[in-house]
Amino acid sequence: MTFATTKFRAFLPAATFAMAAEFLMGLSDSVICGHVLGETGLAATNLMQGVFEIVTFAGMMTAIGSSVLFATEVGALHVRRARGYFTLGFSASVAAGLLVSAVLAAVRLPVIGAFGASPEVSAMASSYWLWFLPAAALQPVAFFLGTMCYTDGDARLSFLSYLVQLGMNCLLSVPLTMWFGAAGCAAGTGIGSFAAIAVLLFHFRKTGCMLGFSGHFILPDLLRISRLSLGDAGKNLGKATLMFALNSYVISRFGSDALPVLAVVLMTIGISEVFDGVANAAQPLASVYIGERNAFLTKRVMRAALAAALIEGGGAMLLLLAFPGLMIALAGIEIPATAAEAAVAVRLSSIALPALALVLLFNSYYVFIRREGLAIALTFAAVLVAPLALFPVGGALGGARGVWMALGLAPLAALAVFALYELVRWGLSRFPFLIPADREAAIRVFDLELDPVGICATSAAVGEHLRQKGIDAGRASKASLLVEEALMVVRDRNAGRRIRAEVTVDLNGGLALVIRDDGEIFDITDADARVSSLRAYLVSNLMTALPNRRNLTTTGFNRNVFKL
Amino acid sequence: MEINTTREGNTLTIAVSGRVDTVTAPELEAGLKFGDSSRVVIDLSNVPYMSSAGLRLLLAAHKTMLANGGRMEVANVQSAVREVLDITGFSDILNLV
Repeated sequence: MTFATTKFRAFLPAATFAMAAEFLMGLSDSVICGHVLGETGLAATNLMQGVFEIVTFAGMMTAIGSSVLFATEVGALHVRRARGYFTLGFSASVAAGLLVSAVLAAVRLPVIGAFGASPEVSAMASSYWLWFLPAAALQPVAFFLGTMCYTDGDARLSFLSYLVQLGMNCLLSVPLTMWFGAAGCAAGTGIGSFAAIAVLLFHFRKTGCMLGFSGHFILPDLLRISRLSLGDAGKNLGKATLMFALNSYVISRFGSDALPVLAVVLMTIGISEVFDGVANAAQPLASVYIGERNAFLTKRVMRAALAAALIEGGGAMLLLLAFPGLMIALAGIEIPATAAEAAVAVRLSSIALPALALVLLFNSYYVFIRREGLAIALTFAAVLVAPLALFPVGGALGGARGVWMALGLAPLAALAVFALYELVRWGLSRFPFLIPADREAAIRVFDLELDPVGICATSAAVGEHLRQKGIDAGRASKASLLVEEALMVVRDRNAGRRIRAEVTVDLNGGLALVIRDDGEIFDITDADARVSSLRAYLVSNLMTALPNRRNLTTTGFNRNVFKL
Repeated sequence: MEINTTREGNTLTIAVSGRVDTVTAPELEAGLKFGDSSRVVIDLSNVPYMSSAGLRLLLAAHKTMLANGGRMEVANVQSAVREVLDITGFSDILNLV
């Protein structure tokens, strides 16, 4: 286990649970309406799936780009610029919430009419939609703050906000749905979003919070945020389009009675949202490594993410192939014939999950490495173009089951075509991360667990490596000394704990030393820090002698950068 | 690390070879036995690296010799080690020759 993989695995549960909570939140209204109002309620909320995606799209359009730019600027030690992006993103999320709410208010009746569903289902959907408008305004802000809070290293509070939102939504929506029908369910969702925002505001009171407001409004930066976000957020826009198309197709071909089965299929495919947690867990590390232009460590953390995505996607598929009844029970389907058809549909559509896990990971990764075009292309291919092209074919060949199977195979087909394109365009040597190998030769990474023997061995190895690379003995020795003294100080401050560290020697354009550790957060580069030992005294004097040094603690680990 | 000790009259010369770091410093500490010598020379010509663990030993040895009315000299310091002594101000405390 290396520092990067250890940290990635430490981030993964919180990121996955956060996405699972978000998935359940998106699902909660369908589940509550299905259980309280029956199959009609399930069908009505299924018509709303496109609306949910549009609201998520509005939140992601500001949050994803802002978080990537914020983390990258922090990685490059530009705190003021990072806060500028936060300010800009926050303002944009408020505006996006208001705008999407206004647009949804204007198009409500025409869109519901266009579905052509039964009068009972249409009336219920219309009522839900109207009372969902406050939630539509609040949710982008809640999503933005949750993402930024997570990116700033406060995964716990970010996760707590999801739990509060989900808890409030469920606690309120169930009785409200019983009393006021679908409208009550939507109102509970709005109150949940408001509660999540209230929880997230506590992050600003915490020590070490890097988020802050700084006067900043530049149109090109807003466009950068949007462009970076579009790759990830685009999938929600694509899904919204697909949902509208699917709902209309299924109603026209198979009638409103097929909507509950479609709802279960969309719930099954929707599980893939949970897999976005893998990319979110990789992001705090990958963005910093990319900011440092450290190809070696970028690949290391992304390989760990790739394995995690395959395990999550494959595991979910196997679970649903074996127990499709889980989804049927969740949806609240009780009519035996509908439940039997839904079980087949769950099995057929669950085939999409491993491919979707990879699509989501690479979609985020392409945004990290600023290949937004690829991210957008992959997203739209997997969640819109391929399903849109395949489901009518499936429907024509195999009826409703043909549609579900097409939805299961579409992401796999899109991924295969995309991988082929990358292999042809960039070759096997750069597949699948597309990073040129030239920078890797000048980077050497040393991983260790902090104990005196390991620290001294690493210190000696760093010195030896530098001498072999032609660095003069004085600088090599100083680098070696810095490694030993800094890591021993870290060890002393974390007495009795197992601490992992990572030392990067980067000779691209000079000699840079990056020392990371997962111990107590403190600034070792502070030349004015309290001196309590000869070692601390030496470190303090070394810091004074090294003007080109920076400390960064934002993402849950210490990062100290020295240029020698 | 290697430590070679030679005596010439009241002068004890301790020649150290290798890195002096947190792990090897206890070896050096064990080798710093001065007996009744009134002058001790620590020869660092073969020490390319010394961390604070080594500095602590030099300072302790220097104080011991002073307390006993003797003198300790640090000889043939390589430039990388000299820089560490300069950064910490030890070059003003120790007798460098």
